[in-house]
Order: sequence, then structure tokens, then C-alpha cells
Amino acid sequence: MKVPTFIARHGRQAGTVAVFLMLCAVLSVLTPHFLTTSNLLNVAQQTVVNAIVAVGLTYVILSGGIDLSVGSVLALAGVVLGLALEAGWPLPVAIAACVLVGALCGVLNGMLVAFGRLPPFIATLGLMSIARGAALLVTDGRPVSGFDGSFRWLATGELLGVPVPVWCMLAVYVAAHVVLHRTRFGRYVFAIGGNEEATLLSGVPVARCKVGIYALGGGLAAGASVLLTARLNSAQPIAGLNYELDAIAATVIGGTSLLGGQGSVFGTLVGALIMGVLRNGLNLLGVSSFVQQVVIGAVIIAAVLLDTFFKRSRR
Amino acid sequence: MTNPFRTFLLVSLAALLGGCGREAAKPASDSRPVIALVVKTLNHPFFVDMQRGAEEAARAANVELIVQAAEREVDVERQMQIIENLIQRKVGALVIAPSGSREVVPVIVKANRAGIPVLTVDTRVDAAALAGAGGQVATFIGSDNHEGGRIAGQFLAEKLGGRGRIVVLEGIPGHETGDARLRGFREGIRAHPGMVVVASQPANWERDQGYNVCQNLLQAHPDVNALFAANDLMALGALEAIAAAGRRRQVTVVGFDALDEARAAVKAGAMAGTIAQNPALMGRTGVERAVALLRGEAPPVEIGVPIELIK
Repeated sequence: MKVPTFIARHGRQAGTVAVFLMLCAVLSVLTPHFLTTSNLLNVAQQTVVNAIVAVGLTYVILSGGIDLSVGSVLALAGVVLGLALEAGWPLPVAIAACVLVGALCGVLNGMLVAFGRLPPFIATLGLMSIARGAALLVTDGRPVSGFDGSFRWLATGELLGVPVPVWCMLAVYVAAHVVLHRTRFGRYVFAIGGNEEATLLSGVPVARCKVGIYALGGGLAAGASVLLTARLNSAQPIAGLNYELDAIAATVIGGTSLLGGQGSVFGTLVGALIMGVLRNGLNLLGVSSFVQQVVIGAVIIAAVLLDTFFKRSRR
Repeated sequence: MTNPFRTFLLVSLAALLGGCGREAAKPASDSRPVIALVVKTLNHPFFVDMQRGAEEAARAANVELIVQAAEREVDVERQMQIIENLIQRKVGALVIAPSGSREVVPVIVKANRAGIPVLTVDTRVDAAALAGAGGQVATFIGSDNHEGGRIAGQFLAEKLGGRGRIVVLEGIPGHETGDARLRGFREGIRAHPGMVVVASQPANWERDQGYNVCQNLLQAHPDVNALFAANDLMALGALEAIAAAGRRRQVTVVGFDALDEARAAVKAGAMAGTIAQNPALMGRTGVERAVALLRGEAPPVEIGVPIELIK
């Protein structure tokens, strides 16, 4: 892609990128521990789970929906993976089962929305509770832990000096970007979010697309759970509480409109990085935990205000 | 593009970040040793007391103390991130109250590799998982939760003359602390065949859940005359539910942690007893031992903090 085209396509994210760079600049001045290779890789690793969950959510939000169940689906898929590994299943099979469970949760969400005509907020709110309950049920509330080294490599391994989870995140983003901008499915996602009625009238199988979009969201949450489980060396039925809110925040900071039809996965990545950098920086500075929550909330609002402003000023 | 609104946004964002940086930037420039205390959450009076004790010790020893915690007690990943970030900041020693006794192991190994000693307080790290990962913890400072549970069980049995129908409120399932208290409690009542646990349900350490779960259990078991909660927040919530049901006289409540509010309830006669753990002493000892460790004095493998029954 030529540079000018890239700017034209992503000019929308100018505000988000500006906030991100400003944040990095300010933190570099305030603490010598921020701008080091090991810390930047550290932030990248901490961003992985939120970033991957947020890609799926970006698709859902772009199509004019919302998915509140991703945090719970992440927990359910994670314990499925944990139990499968504990039962001695080979790693690829266990991961496939985990992703399948996540995608099936998404399919259920999508069917409730597309065929059951439930508002996405309600359908996914219901599944949020169902998936959490199921995760607690199958594990009896206890974490499943202690996996062997080949699985832990997904969290601890490095390729060319960069941790494996970060490579996974980059791969997911490249794939998500390509699908969104280079395939028919991607164009349908934008079209459904922009004007569902018109899309339907122009012959697009809207219902099937929606099921696919939510399945993608669930599958990606499950993918994130693989990396989280490897990282903690434990699959917890109470994992991922409130992660849906972090993912929504990353998506919205990244310039995706909650009304659907506008946004990009690149913006979401920057949004997730802003949240990661902010939390890391506040820890490095030794800021009190209570002040941190205030600052994070304020930056979310400031980032979105700034982004809205950039969009308005270009018009 | 010279819009005053935009300038306002940029300036206020910079001021916000600069403002919170200044507060912390000052002590970072001095050369005192830095000790970090990472607790489970700071929304719980237990850990606030621990922080206070640690701060006193830090002042006395003239070291810089950083206290951090996740927003939610159950957020093991967030606690891990905080510890990773403190490793990046190259603190001298880490004092950790683990949110998960197994989940904390990978990050302890990271600290070990970075040459930062780790001390644990309140909750023990799973010994097998730690050994399996090749990690090392310098010392554990905490009270014996099992013993505390046993004392609570015995006290309740004596109080009721050995005849009780008991409801138990558990903490978050799978937590070493809560499990040890419950095991101890069951052991404490074992010698009294008349003491029967009719229901044992999790209320996840939280006050509002203590209220709701207790309310439900009172409906299901009208003959209950005793309640043991694995922490005081749940006990205090349960106390409200019992009062609302008009059964304060019939149900004897025992809690755990001896929070100020629970001590007051014991004094007022609303609660029969609570187990005192002394978190402030844990925090103080944690920092003192970390300072000694940095001077080269190896601590004992385990340091007990005394337990006391408040009745």
C-alpha cells in the first residue's frame, strides 16, 4: 500500500495516534524506566489479551452490534482448554476445542441477534451470565493449573527477540485488517453497520453475516484465552471479569463509532496500546492505585474528545 | 486549525499526566532503596491496614515504599502486570500478597531472573507450582488461617453448647486463604457431632453477596442458629440479612479478620466473635524483612503473625 493511501485511509486515527505518541513522550520524560526495549516489550505483552479480544469486538461494533459476553466466553474457553490439557489431549486439539467453544458461543449470540431479533445488548448480556456460569460449573469453581513446557512456550517463548504472544497479536491484526478491507465479508461488515436495511435490500445475506461476525468475536476471545492461560499457567473460571469493558474502551479510543459503520482495526490496536502504556506508566511512576483509575478514565474521555475534534476539523 | 478547544484538550491532557508524574517523580530522584508492596486490592480494610503498617516500617527504616493493587481482588492478570511493571522499574525488593497462589508463580520467576527478592504476605504461594517453575520466595509472613478457622469452630461449638445448625459463607472458590479457614473450621467442630453444617455457599468475600446469599440460605433453612463467614465483610452483610429477617436473637454469627466494624458489632453484641489477624503487623514485618534482606540478612522461611479471638 502506498503511503498516501495509508494516510488517507487511516487519517481518521490521527487523533488517537497523537494521543498515543504524546503519552509516550510524556512518560519518557517522567521516568527513565519507560523507554527501554525490555519495558516496551513488557507493555506489548500486557496489551495482547485486551488487543485480541478488542479486534473481535471491533468487527461486532462496526456492524452496529455490541458483545458483552467476550469476558465470560474467554473464561469458558480458557477452562475448556485447561481441562482438555489436563485430560492429556494433544495441544493442537485442545486449542481447537477451546476456539470452537468460543466460536459456538459467538454463533449462539449471532443467532439470537439475527434470527431471534433480540437487541445485541440483551442477547450478549444473557450469554455473559451463561458462559460464566458454565465455566464455574465445569471446573467446580476451581482454577485448572500446572501445564507442561511446550504449552507455556506460547507465553514465555521468543522469536527474533520478540515474545511469542506479541507475534500472535500482530498476526491477528494483519489478518483482521486484510479481511476487513480486502474481502466481501469485510465490506458487508461496514455495510451492515452503515445501513442495515439498505444492505439487506441489496441482497446481502445479513443474518448469516451477523452470525459470522459474532462467531469471530467469540473465537478471538477464545484465542486470547489460550495466551492468557499460558501466561498465568492457570485457567480460571473467574478470568476475564470486565474485560468486555476494556475491549470496548480500546475500540472506542481507537476511533470506531459505537453506532457502527465507521472505524478500523488499526485504530483499535492503538487504543489497546494507549490503555497498556497508561497502566504501565502509572505503575512505573508509583502513582496510587486510586489516582490511576481516575487518570485512566480521564484519558479515555480525552482521547475520544480529541479524536472527535480531529474528525470535525477536517470536515 | 488554531482552535481554542483543541489547545485546551492538549494542555489539559499534558497537565493531567504531568501532575500525577510530579507527585511520584520527586522521591524517584533520591537514592534510598525502593520496596514495593503489591496487595490484592485496596478496597478492603484488611489491605489498607497492611499498607499502613508497611508505611510505618518504611518511614522508620528510611526506605521508599510503593504500594499498588489491582482494582478487583480476583484480577490475577492485572496483579501480574503490576508486578512486571515494578520489575521494569527495578525496585529493590517485592513484598506480594498473591491474588492467586498458583497464578503468581510465573511472575515470581521473572522477578527472580531480574535479581529482585520476593517476600510473600498473607497468602502462601503454591509450593509445588513454585518448585516446578524453579522460583524462589525468600519468606512467607502471615497468620495460620487454618488455626484461625479451628479457633472459630471451637468457639462457636462452645457458645452453642455443641448443638448447632450452621450456615457457612465461603470466599472465592480456589483461594488458599479461604480454603484453609474452612478446613480449619470443619476441624474445629468435628469433636461436636451436634454441630452440623446445613449449607456452605460462596459469597466471594463481598459484603453485598454476603447479604444476598445469607438471605437465600435463611429461606432454605429456617432452623439455622449459627453462621460462620470466612471474612468479616460477608459476616457483616449476613448480619444485616439476619436482622432484616428478624432473627438476630436466634442466629449466632462468627466472622474472620476483626475489621473495626466487626469489632464494634462484637462489642454491641450483634456478632459473637471474630478472628483477629493483624494485617498491619504483616505489612510492617514484610517491609522490615525486605530491608534486612537488602542488607544481606536472610529471613527465616516462614514468619508467623499471631491470631487472636475477639469475643
